[in-house]
Parts: sequence; C-alpha cells; structure tokens
Amino acid sequence: MLIFELFVQGLVQGSIYALIAVGLTLVYGLLRILHVAHAGLFTLGGYCGVLITNETGSLTLALLGAMMLVGIVGMGIYKLCYQPILSHPPFVALIASIGLFIAMEELYRLAFGPYGISFNQPPLQTSVNFLGMHLKLAEIITMLGAALLIGALALLSARTRIGVAWRATVTMPEIAESFGINIEQVRYINFFVGSALAAAAGVMVAVLNNLVEPTMGSVPSYKALAIIVLGGLGDVRGTLIAALALGVIEAYGTIYLGHLLDRDAIAFAFLIIVLMIRPQGLFGRAIS
Amino acid sequence: MKTTFKTFGVALVAAFAVTTAAAAETIKIGFNAPLTGFAAADGKSARTGAELAVEQINSAGGVNGKMLELVVYDDQASPKESVPIANRLIEKDHVKIGISGSYSGATRAAAGVYQSAGVPYISAYAVHPDITRAGNYVFRTSFVGEVQGRAGAKLIGDTLGKKKVSVITLKNDFGKSLAAGFREAAGRFGIQVLNEYEYSIKDRQFGPIVSKVKADNPDAIYASGYFFTAGPLVSQLRAAGITAPIIGQEGYDSEKFIEIAGAASEGTIITTSLDRDSQAPETKDFIMSFEKKAGFKADMVAASGHTAVKVAAAALAKAGDRDPAAIRDAIAATTVTASTGTISFNKLGEVRKDVQVQVVKGGSWHRHSVISDAALLAPPEQ
Repeated sequence: MLIFELFVQGLVQGSIYALIAVGLTLVYGLLRILHVAHAGLFTLGGYCGVLITNETGSLTLALLGAMMLVGIVGMGIYKLCYQPILSHPPFVALIASIGLFIAMEELYRLAFGPYGISFNQPPLQTSVNFLGMHLKLAEIITMLGAALLIGALALLSARTRIGVAWRATVTMPEIAESFGINIEQVRYINFFVGSALAAAAGVMVAVLNNLVEPTMGSVPSYKALAIIVLGGLGDVRGTLIAALALGVIEAYGTIYLGHLLDRDAIAFAFLIIVLMIRPQGLFGRAIS
Repeated sequence: MKTTFKTFGVALVAAFAVTTAAAAETIKIGFNAPLTGFAAADGKSARTGAELAVEQINSAGGVNGKMLELVVYDDQASPKESVPIANRLIEKDHVKIGISGSYSGATRAAAGVYQSAGVPYISAYAVHPDITRAGNYVFRTSFVGEVQGRAGAKLIGDTLGKKKVSVITLKNDFGKSLAAGFREAAGRFGIQVLNEYEYSIKDRQFGPIVSKVKADNPDAIYASGYFFTAGPLVSQLRAAGITAPIIGQEGYDSEKFIEIAGAASEGTIITTSLDRDSQAPETKDFIMSFEKKAGFKADMVAASGHTAVKVAAAALAKAGDRDPAAIRDAIAATTVTASTGTISFNKLGEVRKDVQVQVVKGGSWHRHSVISDAALLAPPEQ
C-alpha cells in the first residue's frame, strides 16, 4: 500500500515537473536556447495565484489570470531579451537567461518581501479518500490539471493550423517560412503557451505548499534542464515521460535512499546514468 | 560639468560624515546578518532586534556616556561574505565587539577572524558546536543544537509521555545536531525512534515522507526545520490525517510558521528561547517594543539579536571600550537578564539558560512549559 502511495506522490511531483519542463523544451525545440529564466516565470505564476486568490477569493480566476499574465510576460521576455541576440551563438542567450533569472528572483524579493506569501484561506485542502489513501484535493487537481493542460496542448499541435505551423517551424524553419508561415508569430505563441503552463505549475505548487517565495524557482530551474535533456532536447513526449519518471523515482528515493543521496541529487544521478547509456536522452533519436 | 558637481557633492558629503563622526564619539558594534538571499527574513528580524536594543540603550544615556553604533553588513548567510565582512569590521570600522545575526556557516567562518584579531564575537542564534571552539573570544547566546535536541527528547518522553517517535531531520548542521542531541537523550526518556527521514533545505513538498510517517503510525513526530520548511511540512502531515503531536524547535519560531501552516499549526509544540507569555519585564517590554518598531511580531531570532547587543553593552559598561581583553573577560563573567532569559556563559563561551517550550494556541504562540534541568541542558565545555 505504501508503495502505491509513494507512486501517487511521485506522480503529483512529476506533474509539476512536466508542466514546467514542457515550456522549456518547446523553447529549446524552436530556438535552441536553454531558457533558464523560465523558472522565474513559474515563480511569478505562484505569486499571481496567491495575490489574485487573496484579492478575489476565486482560485479559478487566479489560475486563468496567472496563465494569461505570465504568458504575456513570457512573450515580453522573448521580444526584449532573446530576439535581439538570436544571431549570436546560443551561449549568449543562455548567459542572458541566467542573468534575467537572478534579476527576477531579486525583483520578487523587493516587490513581495523576503518572507514569502501565503493564501488567506488556503484552497483545496480537503482530504479525499481515494482507494484507501488520504490525498489532498489539491494533489488530485494537480494531476488532473496537468493531464488536461498537456492533453489540450497535444490536441492543439495535432489538429489546428497553428499547431501544424508550429511543428513545421520546429522541423524545417526555412521551408516553413517559404510556405508562408509567420515564424515570428509561431515564436510568440510558443513563449505564451510555455509560460502559461509554467504559471499553472506555479499556482498548483502555491496551493500544495501554501507558500510562494522569491527562490521558489531555484530548484526547478536546473531540475527542468535535467528533465529536458533526459527526454531528448526538444522532444515533448520524451520530456513528459522523463518528468513523471523522475517524480516517481524521487518519491521512492526520498524514502529508501534518503540517507545516501539527497532528493535533488537523484535527478542528476539518474541523468548521468542515462547519458552514459543513451547520450541522446531516453527518447531522443541518435544523430547518425 | 555634471560629473564635477557630483564629485564635489560626494566630497562634501564625505567631509560632513567625517566631522559628524568625530564630533560624537561612538562605540561601534559590528553586525553581520543575511539581508538578501534565502535567509533574508531571519537576517532582517535579527537586525531589527539588535537595532531596538541599541536604541533602548542609547535613549537611556548610552554606555559610560558614549552612544552605541551598530555597523551592519549583509553576509547572505555565506562564509564567502562573512570573512571579508569580519575583516572590514575589525580593520576599517574598528568595532569593539562583533555580533553574528547569521547562520552557522557564515558565523563559523567569521569566528576565526575575530579570534585571531583578538576582538570578542557573539553569535546570536547560530547553532553549530564548532563556532565557540574557534577560541576564547567567541561566545554564543543561543543553544547549540545538541542541547535543544536533548530538551526535545525530555519534552516528548517525559512531559508529553510519548514513546514511539518518527524523526524528520533537515539535512544541514542545524537539523543534524538537533537529531544527534535527540537520539542521545532518547533512551533516557524511554523513547523508541521508529524511523528517521532526511530532507534538504530546498524541499517544500514532503508527500513521500508524509506517506511513510503515516505507515509508521508514531505517538509523536520530532521534526527539525525552519518556518519555511516546517510550515508546508506540518500542513502536509495534518492533511494526510496524521494526528500525532508534532514537536519542533526554534527554527519554527516565527509568526510566519502559523501563517503558512494555517489551522494545521494548532497544537504544534517547539523548544525555543522566547516566552511570549513571560511576566519578566525585560521580555514583556521587548515583545511590545519590537512589534511597534518592526510592524510584525517578535520571534526567537529577533530576541536573540536583541539579547546579544544587551550582553555586549553590559560588558562594555563594565570594562570600558579600550581594552579588548578586558571586554572579553567582562563578557565571560556576565550575568544579564535579557529578553531570552538570564544569560551566563560556561568556560567555552556557551550560554546557560532555560529552554522555553511554546505551543500554537488560537493562532499564536503561547507558553507550554519551561525546561530548566541544568544537567540535561549543560552545554559542551570544550
């Protein structure tokens, strides 16, 4: 029974990782940029979630508001930070991204204080009996929400014109452009969607922990990088599986390896092992 | 043109600064604390407590007719920062006493600098045992982790009478020394440790540990942490339907803990240094004045910063501000009643005082009991 409970806890954590990492891998797939500041958007999502809920009393409104706002900020980051340096080698954008992430953390500290903020009335805290397990409603909503959002994204990319344009741009940007696809538009949509997903993750973490702090993004910032490498850079399906797998491995690792290995070290031990066996990532295709 | 004016302005300001400094001779006390970074909340609280003590002392006429001046630098709770800061405070600012309002890593590194310069250094609330081992110029006004861990064992095994305990340990020097003290004294109070789990300071989601503790079905839970880890931890333990009492320590000691854990914080018991329901005038006055100055309620860290300055001032009043060796001896011989109780030091420079046990009742901290077992609470002598 404990084994099963740990599995479910791993899925909850994995859902959060998935929501964050998908945005990151989308940006990498399109622009070949490691977008570290993405974790700063995750934190911003958390702040929006708490502040809007405290103001209006509605978590739904907060979730939508956070996704919308953070999506727009994500597009702003592309416009102001990445677009002007796209012609430079990728490490230039990486450095800019790290700088931006640090600046965001300090900005949150200045704007919202060092203590972190909490909900006045923490939502979704009811305990639900699910197959003999006590789960917080928030944990169930996190899993369902992540599945729903990522499912919608899959549908969007498979069935709509925007989705087709996006996939075409990722595979062959020059040819896509010559077929009349507006590449700039695709990039903006890309940043909007990825950032909105990170914001949703931020709101859910805020609800799970009832705490949003300026440094909330520091662990996800590098763990999400490990996840997208594991998943095969730019590969959305691989990223999802890697995220869930890492969540579950961490859940077991915390209990059974906790004395040997830090929870945060597990991700990287896992990463090293996988890269030794499959340098292209778990699901990436080898470049011949 | 603009730059010339600017330079002139800077020179003018500097000149003024020099003259004012010369006009009113002050006694400088150095203070390092994390004002940015992950520990900024504690740093701010400690600094405000220390500033309050300086204001109180100065408005009562200062020390031997001279005003105290607190020279504050941000060490980000990092030894990389605290060492140059210690050098600067000693060499440039010529402080008579240094106070650490910071965590163990930063304090431990700075302690060596103060010791070799022969300037007294007081650690307000850092817990690592090696801090005072830097030498005879280093003192501590808070408990080492082991002492508090032993107090936790007495509280659970004796006061509460709970025998089967799950231990959740924060994996840093604070959590580990608490757990070591707890395990050491557990047998004495008939406590059986069912399991011990460790987590990192960055963890906020404890799902797997909560599930496992639930399977352990303990009589009580001894969990170390700071309010920002303990808040989520306690709320997640309660949400999983675990009703066993949760016992924490001074790291929980903040209004912020109650705010984060919400209703789940009710009944959480901690060992700490500040008694909210104290009738002692020093403590009562501190709690009131601090809230007025800071705009938020006093916590252990604030009281510790306040206490350290009071200890420093008492020593300066006795020994004057000329001879560092005399100041050191005066601190070693101090008996001061401050906001965290009556303070005296053993020969290693470790504090001797009672442990305050507080409980969350009706959404705020209140007195639960006091542990004053001198043998159990004896700090290390070497």
